[in-house]
Amino acid sequence: MLVFTRKRHEAIMIGDGVEVRVLRVGKDGVRLGIVAPNEVRVHRREVYDQIRDANQSAVVSPGQLAQVAERLTKAK
Amino acid sequence: MNPAPAVAETEITVSEAVTFPDGIPGFESCRNWVVMAAETATPLRRLHALDGADASFLAIDPRAVLDNYRCELSAADRRRLGAGDTDPLLWLAIVMMESNGALTVNLRAPIVINPKTMTGQQVLPHNCLYPLRHVLVDAE
Repeated sequence: MLVFTRKRHEAIMIGDGVEVRVLRVGKDGVRLGIVAPNEVRVHRREVYDQIRDANQSAVVSPGQLAQVAERLTKAK
Repeated sequence: MNPAPAVAETEITVSEAVTFPDGIPGFESCRNWVVMAAETATPLRRLHALDGADASFLAIDPRAVLDNYRCELSAADRRRLGAGDTDPLLWLAIVMMESNGALTVNLRAPIVINPKTMTGQQVLPHNCLYPLRHVLVDAE
């Protein structure tokens, strides 16, 4: 892992188009500003992980498809 | 920054492969998916990966779950989908089977597909208040 020391308002560049700037340093956290090209999606890590875990738990086998569909239909 | 229209004007069907340039979280290598009607006559759809992994999901239009479902796409999300402000988009929320047998649906991070460009992505809105696991059917 690359490690940098940055002061408030200082930034690092990643590749051509991504800039990460320290906006504020507080007692409990650091506020970061991110500039990135449109095609680069930026997320909080824990949010991405939550969605990834949810997606992985959502995979259905062919055998489960009909069963789940039936339960949903009945519930309507 | 338009909210999803309250009711899709026409039933949007997608029969060819839809490209997800980033895959979806957990299935980053699955770039091509098909959307099929599920077996029954419910609003249920089946998302199936054509590459990367053998993955199938059940999904449902979030507006069939909550009438007033609103989720704003950012300008960047729209650009990634090649969608103008008025293009009809297909919204799908992924259905999950919980370990206790309940069926839940992910209303927080919907799949959005632009049928015009056949491009899709899973949107992770920064300000979405809907639950990650909204209960559709209670545990048996």
